[in-house]
Amino acid sequence: MKFISSLVIATLAACALGVQAQDVAAILKASDKFRMSADNLQVETQINIVNADGTPDKERKYKVFAQQNRQSLVIMQSPSEKGQKVLMSGDDFWLVMPDSQRPLRITPMQKLLGDASTGDVSTLSWAEDYTGKLVGEEACDTRAGARPQTCLHLTLTAARKGVTYQRIELWVGKARYEPHRADLYVLSEKLAKQASFVFDKPDAPTTVVEMVLTDKVSNNKTTHIKYVSRKERQIPKEWLNPQFLVRGGTFE
Amino acid sequence: MRVSRHLVIGFVGTSALLLLLALSSAWAQSAPTASNDEGASADFALPAVTGQVRLLGNDFHPSTRGPLAAANALQPGIATQTTASASVEIELRTSGKGWNITGTLQQQALPGGSHPNRAWFNEAAVTRDVAGWSLSAGKKIVAWDVAYGFRPNDVVQQETRRLLVSTLAEGRPVIMAEHFDADTAWSLVFANAGRARSELGVREPAFAARVYQRQGSADWHGFVRYGAHTGASVGGSLAWVATDALEVHASARYVSRADSKAFDTRSPLIAAVSPWQTSTVHRATQAIVGGTWTHESQLSLMMEAWWDGTALSPRQWDAWRARNVALNALPRNAVPAAAVAGNLAWQSEAFSAASNLHRSNIYLRASWEHEGWTPSVDLLYHPADGGRMITAALLWKGDRVQVQGGVRVNAGPAASVLRQLPTQRQTFLVGTWAF
Repeated sequence: MKFISSLVIATLAACALGVQAQDVAAILKASDKFRMSADNLQVETQINIVNADGTPDKERKYKVFAQQNRQSLVIMQSPSEKGQKVLMSGDDFWLVMPDSQRPLRITPMQKLLGDASTGDVSTLSWAEDYTGKLVGEEACDTRAGARPQTCLHLTLTAARKGVTYQRIELWVGKARYEPHRADLYVLSEKLAKQASFVFDKPDAPTTVVEMVLTDKVSNNKTTHIKYVSRKERQIPKEWLNPQFLVRGGTFE
Repeated sequence: MRVSRHLVIGFVGTSALLLLLALSSAWAQSAPTASNDEGASADFALPAVTGQVRLLGNDFHPSTRGPLAAANALQPGIATQTTASASVEIELRTSGKGWNITGTLQQQALPGGSHPNRAWFNEAAVTRDVAGWSLSAGKKIVAWDVAYGFRPNDVVQQETRRLLVSTLAEGRPVIMAEHFDADTAWSLVFANAGRARSELGVREPAFAARVYQRQGSADWHGFVRYGAHTGASVGGSLAWVATDALEVHASARYVSRADSKAFDTRSPLIAAVSPWQTSTVHRATQAIVGGTWTHESQLSLMMEAWWDGTALSPRQWDAWRARNVALNALPRNAVPAAAVAGNLAWQSEAFSAASNLHRSNIYLRASWEHEGWTPSVDLLYHPADGGRMITAALLWKGDRVQVQGGVRVNAGPAASVLRQLPTQRQTFLVGTWAF
């Protein structure tokens, strides 16, 4: 009898956990929609890096082709980076530098180089890369003076190699699952960056218009990633071939 | 008179380049592009011409060893060596759907007050898609292969490696056809069409082909080349991301013939013409293996080892050293100093026999990126004679400005080939502003 009741309890617990895992996956998918509104997108992105004292450091402009199946192509547009391209296809990455005209295989660790890593710019979804579990309900914003709002706190763990962050602590809205803030941890379990999100309509958000990243490792610089425009666009499959990237001409 | 002609040629070249870029710019601005479509912001209307301005200063410290130093000691000025140089370069880029142009204008300042100028196209090519193939013609940088210190299968561009300052290479005249799908690419190239069959090195007319295949975390490449007078070569390369932090690469090539220089053994000790003549190396192999490891602290370490069968052998270098000794030992009262100095100066032609001085090479590089600063140090080591080339550099990257400075020193045993090079130490400073 004791054995049967234990079995029933264990089965119920397993079911509960299963439902919870499914719920978290659905929450993540819903949360992703606030940044990745379609399977294939062209996103014009402007990045402003601000020093810890508030003075401007750098401005960058990227054209991002975020495509389904975890593929994306980032074309650097700013004068100092003109001609640079980064291609991500699943867990594989290539970099093209304008002086070399040669696609170079890079490791996930090399993808982290730079103030705003290309992973931050090109990755607009979590559902495909992470598994999650619900931690509980917490305040969305713990800063003094912030609007009192309760969020769901999720812990996301990388489900595949090659992702920029190994673990993400994520807080999403209870009703719409819009992302409010995230703590981003690298492989060594070090807190690398803290992210917060700005919406088009704070009271009834439909899309993220800006992601703000604060560097917690070295310089406390703040990176503002502004999504200037999004439009649905599927690019030709050969654009996702690294050798195509040095063909010359524009990617219009 | 010669200076005036050079100035005129330089001026005409510069003007032609500027005119072409201006026309391209006007065309690009007038042509409608997809960026004007719905959804794209006017903020992203890019300037039609972008580029950078580079200011570069070099200081060369001549070696007191080696045949060139000995020649100059015997006959001062017989082989002039640049001790310092400065230059300003403007690199301009523009592109549109199916075409791209990049050009460079350069003005140099050399000791003695000369200011030569030069203008060239790095790339000027048109590309059209026909029946699933991408056809290109013009001047293009076709850079192949996977390694850093040496690229045996870079058979079209044949880019000079391990330069102190990395700038955009000057492309080659090519006609090429390429086919791409998601994981495979085919490239067929005819380089240097119209040039004489006897042209050497990068100027030799040649047909080259490459097939690329992506297979998970590995990139595979296969190459063939058929040169007008060097004949066939075949090669393959691999770049593989082994772990999140480690990339491994390898490349190998077999050549039936390669252009080189060799000492004419029939030549007397005091020759009337240079005994170093163009020659052919038969049935040689070139190969490299290496890897890059990157830590999340943004520290990168690279190690490569390579073999270049087209370079001079240790036995050839031994004969070269013996000839240097013999020339220096000639009695001064028996042979005119100018004749000895001339023959010593010709000995420096051995340095350009191949793209590598020695057949066996080991290369190490460490760099660290932190807060916009990138210090780096690298070492090229020749096991054959213990020669070492050490480079230390510091790069700072701002928003549009970057500044890099450094020093390259040749070290090792006094008899090593690197210690015999005309320059013992080179320091450089380069500032770049992008627009």
